[in-house]
Amino acid sequence: MVEFVLTYRPLFDLICVYTILAFSQYAALRAGLFSLATPGFASIGGYAGAIVLKETHLGPILGALAAALCGVAAGLFLSLPLARLRGAFQSIATIGFVQIMVSLTLYAQPITGGALGFNAIPKVATTGPLVLVVIAIAALLAVINRSGIGRAFDAIRQDYTVARSLGISVSRYFRYAFALSGAIGALGGCLLAYNTYSIQPDVFGFPMLVSVIAAVILGGRSMVAGPIVGTVFLIVLPELIRPLADERLLLQGLLLIVVIIYLPQGIVDSLVHRWKLRRASTVARAEQGERAHGVPLP
Amino acid sequence: MLAQQLLNGVVVGAVYALFSLGLTLVFGMHRILNLAHGAVFMWGALIGYFAVTLAGLPLWAAFIVAVFGAGLVSVALELCVFRPLRRHQGDEFGTIVASIGANLILMQLAQQATNAQTLRFPFGIFPILFYDIAGLRVSLQQLVILGAVAVIVVALLAFLFKTSLGSEARAVAVDERTSMLLGVNPGKVYLTSFLIAGMLAGAAGVILGVAFNSVSYVMGDAVMLQAFVVIVLGGLGSVTGAVLAGILIGMIQTLTTAYISTELSDAVVFGLLFVVLLIRPDGFFAGLHTEYRVA
Repeated sequence: MVEFVLTYRPLFDLICVYTILAFSQYAALRAGLFSLATPGFASIGGYAGAIVLKETHLGPILGALAAALCGVAAGLFLSLPLARLRGAFQSIATIGFVQIMVSLTLYAQPITGGALGFNAIPKVATTGPLVLVVIAIAALLAVINRSGIGRAFDAIRQDYTVARSLGISVSRYFRYAFALSGAIGALGGCLLAYNTYSIQPDVFGFPMLVSVIAAVILGGRSMVAGPIVGTVFLIVLPELIRPLADERLLLQGLLLIVVIIYLPQGIVDSLVHRWKLRRASTVARAEQGERAHGVPLP
Repeated sequence: MLAQQLLNGVVVGAVYALFSLGLTLVFGMHRILNLAHGAVFMWGALIGYFAVTLAGLPLWAAFIVAVFGAGLVSVALELCVFRPLRRHQGDEFGTIVASIGANLILMQLAQQATNAQTLRFPFGIFPILFYDIAGLRVSLQQLVILGAVAVIVVALLAFLFKTSLGSEARAVAVDERTSMLLGVNPGKVYLTSFLIAGMLAGAAGVILGVAFNSVSYVMGDAVMLQAFVVIVLGGLGSVTGAVLAGILIGMIQTLTTAYISTELSDAVVFGLLFVVLLIRPDGFFAGLHTEYRVA
């Protein structure tokens, strides 16, 4: 049992960190924002958190807070031109942002260590704190989903023209979504740095972009459980079926195409939808049956 | 010195324009942002390389093979990814996600085909000749590139504005449903525009691969970043805009590389994208398509 836990603990930590990053991507997609900036936010948070922890005496909690604040700032900066533009432009500019963060962190060698990476970061984010953060963010997102902001996000995601006609300021909510996605993404990057001893610029590149978007698309874009299920699926599946591990990226690419065509709502949302339909039809059938037998409805 | 750098920039920019034209055409006509366009470009260069080294073709024949090969890759994307997606009522976001997946698959296949190595064309594949024109050192290669790009752009304009298939394509760009009522087959138009976009990308791939003498499976990423700026600056869907903006971006990139630093030239180009999106998101040239804002 002890052996089992020790063997799979790194994998579990990885799932936690990537779930947080997937939450960042989810926060954007849920609001109908076509932002793919999560790896860029994670890069900012990772380096900010690592620098605060190693160069100052503020400690890991203030370090993570500083990282999250940097993420909010980056999100608001991106929202300046992008909050009023349509989807394709948001994707173009945020993919550019991710690539620029990779080349800037490579260039700023005195601060970031360049291609050799930022090394010897103390491992302060162990399994316990990681799980706590995942639960806290999931709870925060669930609260937001049930609030007026969440309903505005839903309206915008389904049709922003309709949302505007209902008096919702689309650009204001896009700004919120950018800030939220930035904060969570930077926190995820910071915890990645606090968990893996060292970070390099290319960790926060295109492969991470694909992983987080694949997790959210696969899991589902409206329920909070979506990104969790998607991340677990994407990380555990190649571990179970070994031959798949070598072709992990090919598998992710194929999965993205197949899921977006045939299961565009993702696993969780589709299951919930089907369950609701079935319950509705059983209730309707029960009512019909009662009426047929002349029993009065309660 | 400055004039020499500007000339080099114009040549590189002309190739960026060629690449961006395919991206902007498909977006302007079908509202499809094909993020796998960089991978099509890379496969064009790769096919050209294999045609030279494995099949032993001369460069001009390899160029033609690569152009059609990349066109077929692009058509395969339309048939295997975008068409099924449309049939299942995929939205704009769906096309972006699916093209990210397609990009990943094409890059992985290329990585396996090349063992993740950077490939180089045999030495002297292109004659190294220089001319002195008005005090500038102009290579034969640069002249051929500029000539080829000019011919291709004129041919594209002639196709779009002088042939019946071209006017069908422009009709679909304006309104797909109405053009169907008028007897246009949109499926054919989609295939044509993806074929043309792929051929343009393949031509750009071979030209850049030979000019920098380096072909690798990641070569599409850098060009995509430049192309993003080109298509936004030129206006999504505009042929003239893409050509002029491509040349402008080529010059800016060459100048920052020469006078500031190689690493920072990407950041300068992205800064430009940010500024353009802030002050004039519909670009500086009227395109086939003007719907760009949410608020």
